[in-house]
Amino acid sequence: MIGIENLTVRFGPTTVLHGVSFEVANGESFALVGESGSGKSTILKALAGQVEDWSGRMTLDGTAMKRGDAPHARQVQMVFQDPYGSLHPRRSVDDTLAEPLAIHGIKGRDARVLAMLDAVGLPRRFRFRLPHQLSGGQRQRVAIARALMLEPPVLLLDEPTSALDVSVQAEILNLLKGLRQEKHLTYLLVTHDLPVVSFLCDRLAILRQGRIEEQAPVAALRLGQLTSAYGQELYRRSTEG
Amino acid sequence: MITRDWLLSDDPETRLQARLGQAYRLARALARNPLAMVGLVVIVALLVMAALAPWIAPYSPLEGMLSNRLQPPSALHWMGTDELGRDIFSRVVHGSRITLMIVILVAVIAAPLGLIVGTVAGYYGGWVDKALMGVTDVFLSLPRLILALAFVAALGPGIENAVIAIAITAWPVYARIARAETLTFRHSEFIAAVRMQGASGLRVIGLHVIPLCMSSTIVRVTLDMAGIILTAAGLGFLGLGAQPPLPEWGAMISKGRAFILDQWWVATMPGFAIVVVSLGFCLFGDGLRDVLDPKQRTKG
Amino acid sequence: MSLLSVENLRVAFPSDHGPVEVVKGLSFDLGRERLGIVGESGSGKSMTGRAVMGLIGKPARVTADRLEFEGQDLRALSERQFRRLRGARMSMVLQDPKFSLNPVIRIGEQIAEALEFHTGLTARQRRVKVLEALEAVRIDDPERVARLFPHEVSGGMGQRVMIAMMVVMEPALMIADEPTSALDVSVRGQVLDIMDDLVRRRGMGLMLISHDLNMVARWCDRILVMYQGRIVEELGAGQLGAAQHPYTRGLLASVPRIDEDRDRLPVLDRAALGACQ
Repeated sequence: MIGIENLTVRFGPTTVLHGVSFEVANGESFALVGESGSGKSTILKALAGQVEDWSGRMTLDGTAMKRGDAPHARQVQMVFQDPYGSLHPRRSVDDTLAEPLAIHGIKGRDARVLAMLDAVGLPRRFRFRLPHQLSGGQRQRVAIARALMLEPPVLLLDEPTSALDVSVQAEILNLLKGLRQEKHLTYLLVTHDLPVVSFLCDRLAILRQGRIEEQAPVAALRLGQLTSAYGQELYRRSTEG
Repeated sequence: MITRDWLLSDDPETRLQARLGQAYRLARALARNPLAMVGLVVIVALLVMAALAPWIAPYSPLEGMLSNRLQPPSALHWMGTDELGRDIFSRVVHGSRITLMIVILVAVIAAPLGLIVGTVAGYYGGWVDKALMGVTDVFLSLPRLILALAFVAALGPGIENAVIAIAITAWPVYARIARAETLTFRHSEFIAAVRMQGASGLRVIGLHVIPLCMSSTIVRVTLDMAGIILTAAGLGFLGLGAQPPLPEWGAMISKGRAFILDQWWVATMPGFAIVVVSLGFCLFGDGLRDVLDPKQRTKG
Repeated sequence: MSLLSVENLRVAFPSDHGPVEVVKGLSFDLGRERLGIVGESGSGKSMTGRAVMGLIGKPARVTADRLEFEGQDLRALSERQFRRLRGARMSMVLQDPKFSLNPVIRIGEQIAEALEFHTGLTARQRRVKVLEALEAVRIDDPERVARLFPHEVSGGMGQRVMIAMMVVMEPALMIADEPTSALDVSVRGQVLDIMDDLVRRRGMGLMLISHDLNMVARWCDRILVMYQGRIVEELGAGQLGAAQHPYTRGLLASVPRIDEDRDRLPVLDRAALGACQ
């Protein structure tokens, strides 16, 4: 579904990604793990068309992406890390969810918005609330709903729960897992939190300073059998704190 | 039925209820600021005065009796009479129409122009930004009244040209503010999200960026009203704005200048009107800023 | 004698529907120890720390039956007296160093500023103190770092600078509000180590406010679990497994584990929790 081949990204004089390659199969949930500065978020941004200067090859569902080109909105959508910064502060839940439908001239907005509220577990009475009247978890549900309005097969998840309380994180993780099964979605998740990977993903790649250190199935992570030294170090820190 | 609880409901059932609720909260916050209310009273009084001028004014603003010239304030002529025997109170009342017209026209021309230039420059950045801001800076670097003078001199004196001149000198400020605000959220995630959904640049600016710059622009325009009134009066004073016998406040002061030592009221009364109205807009603008400025709003 | 003594602390904010209490009658004592306060957003944990620091202004209302720091009644202090106390005897480390450091002043000067305000040291003595403080937070080349601007250092380094700024006055009480949640896992340990070291060597009292139950459990001598403005449970170090309250247990269960095999994570039943309060 997603193919990344030899992706190199430069921000001015610094190279943040050095020839990264990996593939994500249809319906798979793949995690990019690393610390800040490892380049994991840059890969998502490149896929989302928010990075200007990249070289290599990126394909989405078989079609190659061109430089300076945003991917098609119906193919891929993104959920951002900060539930406070990712919703327009003056637009109600209804406005936010109806916007993609309006852009693409899709009919039956009311019914679709209500159905999506149900799907992400938001009470219908929240429909006309503004973001500041919602809690962090509810905002993240709105953000997920917004990403799903156009029914894209691929979701890019940029640390979707790291700004949330643990009990709310559990709810959002459950929601993401359920939605993936229900709608057969492909996830590309960026996170620094190994237990989240263990819960939500099938495979992972560990990044460090713009390079992939190792790719492993999630079973190896659960058993602590990562092969690279850096992977082992991350595992140890994660279990010891 | 509209009740307080219905307006303040956290779970509005319709779009209308949500909008009304927001407006009610805003109005209530504004009502808690006594100075803003004083400003609002002045503005409303100005509106009423302009709307009902022929009924409020006891005499004609344009015709007077020369035998009755330069009378001090009395029960018959509340603000006295001018050098042609015209009732100054009637002229001030009718002058409010001119002032209000100038203010509204300038706001309608300058604010949207500045808003569009600023948001487009801020959103696209690069050479678009450089070009637009270069033009803006040229306008900003010239003193307002002088620039307006130059325009009126080129276009010919008259109230319409005064309005155009003031509007042309007023927009760069709004462009600057709108650009600065656009820059603060150009890279924010909610803009990135709507772009990913395939929204065009114009759609993003029109529906997502401009609404966020709106409140600061409204506040700024309200605060600028005083300056606009003063510039209009300044042009009038210099004989380049409204032409006699129109009762424009600045022109009235200009005429009264000749008698300022012996017949103080001729120049003072319209000056007093200018001060009150300017102050009213300032106070109301200050109150609006406190309510609308998102930086001062606490998180819900 | 305890360092800080709080009895029936309440913080209320006015709202459309009457005053809303975010801290509802909190009582605890803090000695020269590491006390962890854990809770989720909205539990009132940050408000508790800010109330002790005297940082809650209008329109909120702070009341307490007792609020004593080193035998001094904090409720009776004027804003001026409070300012003398803050920074000198009690200090606070916030979540993100980026927002707490002045971006246009060099790090060394910022640390020296507090000394200038609170003590009568000469410039030379202040400089020595600053370098000592930077060394105390394990910065290898304090001379170089003192000359840097805040944006020139990494997040972990910034947080250490913040702590250096706090400890340079050798306060008796340090309140750390989510001091590590903006940091990478690899740096977290170091920052906590440094704070731990300061508590032990200088006999400071530490109030560590965090949402991370496991982290607090590892680092503190005592843990208070807060939920909706109240303390629902007090736990000693290492007694996390023995937690009784359904909220604490629910919280623990909802954290994913690295060897996760559950299909769904258990979720807090807020309705049931509300009922048992």
